[in-house]
Amino acid sequence: MNTYLRQVWVIVWKDLVLEMRSRERIASMGAFAVLAGVLFNFSIDTTSTRPQDVAAGLIWMTLIFGGLLGVGRTFHLEAQDGALQGVLMSPTPKDALFLAKTAANFVLLYVVSLLVLGVFGLFFGLDLGPNLGWVVLVLGVGALGFVALVTLFAAVSTGTNMGETLLPVLVFPLLVPMVIYGVGTTTRLINGRPFDEVEGNVRMLGAFALAAVAAGAVLFRYVVED
Amino acid sequence: MSTAGMRRGGTALTLLGLLGLITLYWMAFFWVPTEVNQGVVQRIFYIHVPAAWTSFLAIGFAALASGMYLWLRDERLDRAALCAIEGGLVFATLVLTTGPLWGKIAWGTYWTWEPRLTLTLLLWFIFIGYFMVRNATEDPEKGKRFAAVVAIVGAIDIPFIHLSVVWFRSLHPEPVVARPDGPTLPGDMLLTLLFGVLVFTVLFFGLFLFRYAVEGLRAEADLRARSAA
Repeated sequence: MNTYLRQVWVIVWKDLVLEMRSRERIASMGAFAVLAGVLFNFSIDTTSTRPQDVAAGLIWMTLIFGGLLGVGRTFHLEAQDGALQGVLMSPTPKDALFLAKTAANFVLLYVVSLLVLGVFGLFFGLDLGPNLGWVVLVLGVGALGFVALVTLFAAVSTGTNMGETLLPVLVFPLLVPMVIYGVGTTTRLINGRPFDEVEGNVRMLGAFALAAVAAGAVLFRYVVED
Repeated sequence: MSTAGMRRGGTALTLLGLLGLITLYWMAFFWVPTEVNQGVVQRIFYIHVPAAWTSFLAIGFAALASGMYLWLRDERLDRAALCAIEGGLVFATLVLTTGPLWGKIAWGTYWTWEPRLTLTLLLWFIFIGYFMVRNATEDPEKGKRFAAVVAIVGAIDIPFIHLSVVWFRSLHPEPVVARPDGPTLPGDMLLTLLFGVLVFTVLFFGLFLFRYAVEGLRAEADLRARSAA
């Protein structure tokens, strides 16, 4: 078990160092998120809609589109120079590889989520008050389910000749529970409702994330085998 | 079962299903009494509900076959999953056509984000994704594995989608059969519905066997062409 965790950690570390040096994905996701916030600002009429009613939906949609942009390219760099073959040929179990990729993607997306929350909070003048901690938690749980599903299907779409264009078709139908529970919960929290009211939804979001991680860990080996 | 046996079985089941379908239409149009509140339009229910049942049966069946394919790598299991998904797509399309037709008269609108209609629409897209992945690889073996993963993850996700869309909003008529306190549907309506479910299930398996036999022949022809080359 100890070696298993070390193998996971080595790959997570490798991916994060690579990202820290190239800043390829985090920069595109971050820039996308901020610019989407700017565009959304012009897409809603604040005289007829209260920003705090639509902010949660916009935050989650930004995460999904931005996340697809970055997480969808998980295997892109490695597949390009054949490094993925090397990782796959190493004695690391495939589920450890999946968990490591998911964990590294989670760190990236969570950083972007917090950036989105901060920027949208600023742009739309949101006052979260005591619910800030809960919103940060809910974004984390949702991001975990998202990266698990998208990492699995990124491996699928990288292996096809349609590439990333296939990814939304595959994952959007599957992401519906995350959007519904995530947006429903966040909207209530932004409007100052107590956490007790949304606890059931957060649990469902957690169950969704766990199911996505477990399914990915089991099925990933069949996607990358050659 | 041999391919010829499969074809005979498929023919028999499909004929039986078609005969049942004629009876079902007769029952739904002439035999069963008109529902008091909704009127004649309610009769679409005897087609709509069995079609919905069949499309969910199809994804379950396909996910099971896909899981076993990934485990055993028997080509027949992959063919079974493919044929089940094709059948499921047909019946899901039926649900998505009959639902809005009924909705226009009963709710006054063709489309509404009603949970079960939404769920069927998403299921329909999962079926489409299955075919897109399958046909987007150069190596057919890889496409089969990818498609199997789509079917399995889709089937696992369906309970979550169901719970979430129900939580989101519900306008659909409440269940009238699968209730904890027993069905509330009057006897002859229940009989027509259950008969419809039976007919659609038989028809599904009939079409399934047919398609399965065709896929078997195609694989055989491929093998012959390859050994001749």
